[in-house]
Amino acid sequence: MKTVKLMKLSSVMAVLKAEPLTNEAESDLTGCYISDLLSDVLAHANPGMLWVTIQTHRNVISCALTKDIGTVLFTCGRKPDPAVVAEADAEGIVLLTTKQTTYEAAGKLWEAGLR
Amino acid sequence: MNATVEKDNGTRQTAVLQQSGGDQCFKFSRPCPELTADAAAAHNAVAIKLGNSTIAMTMSDGTPTDTGVTAGKPLKVSVAQVLIYELRVRDAMTRPPVTAGPGDSLRTLQHLMKSHRISGVPILQDGAPVGLVSIEDIINALDQGHINEPAARWMTRNIVTLRDHFSLVRAVAEFDRHGFGRFPVLNSASELVGVITRGDITSCLVQHLEKRAEEVAAREAAQTTGQANDSELAEPVVLRAEVKAGDYDSAGKVSQRMRQILRMRGVDPDIQRRAAIVAYEAETNIIIHSIGGDLSVAVTPGKVVIEATDRGPGIENIELAMQEGWSTAGPLARELGFGAGMGLPNIRKCSDQFEIKSEMGAGTRLYSEVLLHKAVPPPQEKRP
Repeated sequence: MKTVKLMKLSSVMAVLKAEPLTNEAESDLTGCYISDLLSDVLAHANPGMLWVTIQTHRNVISCALTKDIGTVLFTCGRKPDPAVVAEADAEGIVLLTTKQTTYEAAGKLWEAGLR
Repeated sequence: MNATVEKDNGTRQTAVLQQSGGDQCFKFSRPCPELTADAAAAHNAVAIKLGNSTIAMTMSDGTPTDTGVTAGKPLKVSVAQVLIYELRVRDAMTRPPVTAGPGDSLRTLQHLMKSHRISGVPILQDGAPVGLVSIEDIINALDQGHINEPAARWMTRNIVTLRDHFSLVRAVAEFDRHGFGRFPVLNSASELVGVITRGDITSCLVQHLEKRAEEVAAREAAQTTGQANDSELAEPVVLRAEVKAGDYDSAGKVSQRMRQILRMRGVDPDIQRRAAIVAYEAETNIIIHSIGGDLSVAVTPGKVVIEATDRGPGIENIELAMQEGWSTAGPLARELGFGAGMGLPNIRKCSDQFEIKSEMGAGTRLYSEVLLHKAVPPPQEKRP
């Protein structure tokens, strides 16, 4: 049996000094998946996870929707086009950005207990 | 019309964006419950007519605003905002463009503008745009007395052009960036094909919104005669969309629409996801690897049938293509996060029934079935 440790969106944001790009509704994250390849996310990520990526194209939203991923974090200070942010907002997907690299973000999330 | 929008409830919120994003290419088996998007369109059409050019202006930064949306209404992105991303410069521009040669006098141009009721004329030399004379140039010429001199001497030379495939939202951004009143429009072969002004953009939007408003009126009338009931919800629905090569921006529209239908029918979320992955991967395969094709999704009470056909070039070695990690995606696709070489393997894993046929030069046909009721164990999640 795998125990899932949930982490609040607000604590994730605090840990990563992440800035919200969309409306942020508090939610529980069930885990984290890191990948910049969409098919890989479709195959391996689970619903409710935090998805960490440097991809900012519109396809990220489609992919997140397909997998019921509610929160996407862009690292290295990346930000998608306003059109993409608007779409995410309309679909209820929370987009975050952090200046930290993917590696730093992953380390901090693991340390903070998102497993 | 307004009343219909105001009566909207929150549950229809997602329907709005998806329907409005897709109904240019989707064909439904019957006009079913997505009244809202069109009602919103009707609502926006009114708003647009009242506050003309500000709409295009507010769009430019892409932020959702109150444009055409009543405060407190659940809509976050209005139909007008979606349209401005969907419509292209070629949909709005004036064509064919009225042009002149560098030797023509400003006086000649003044008459051209007057007779065609336009505010600027591109100057062509050997078929290529070399400059532009605007109504401001004419006014200056009249003021300073050089109205009879040739255009070549007074035209603006370093002109900025737009491409006809640009989205209107990009065009609006260019208007804001440069402050020009008009842009000559070139096609992919760099030939001048039209001229676009801010006014062209606004009238194009109004025209499209009006069309939607008329459609909703027709549907409202139809609805009062035959109310939808639960048994109708279980009727087969077919979604069909043309998929264009390289159109990465549209990827996922069909699968999102399908998810919506499956959700409405109370299908198990895991099965919804599997069907969505099949549709999404099949669609992106056409976008990335083919010269264009079609995606069709049929939702019946028992299963979802997803068929993707393209017109070529075909898969040289299907066995290889079915292997995880094998990909022939180009650099752009890879940059956008595609081309992991997992598309077909993902589709196979998520399907209850899967078939692919390909012939070089003729194209590829992919067939997948996802059963809606059979309890199928979810695909084994393998962590790399």
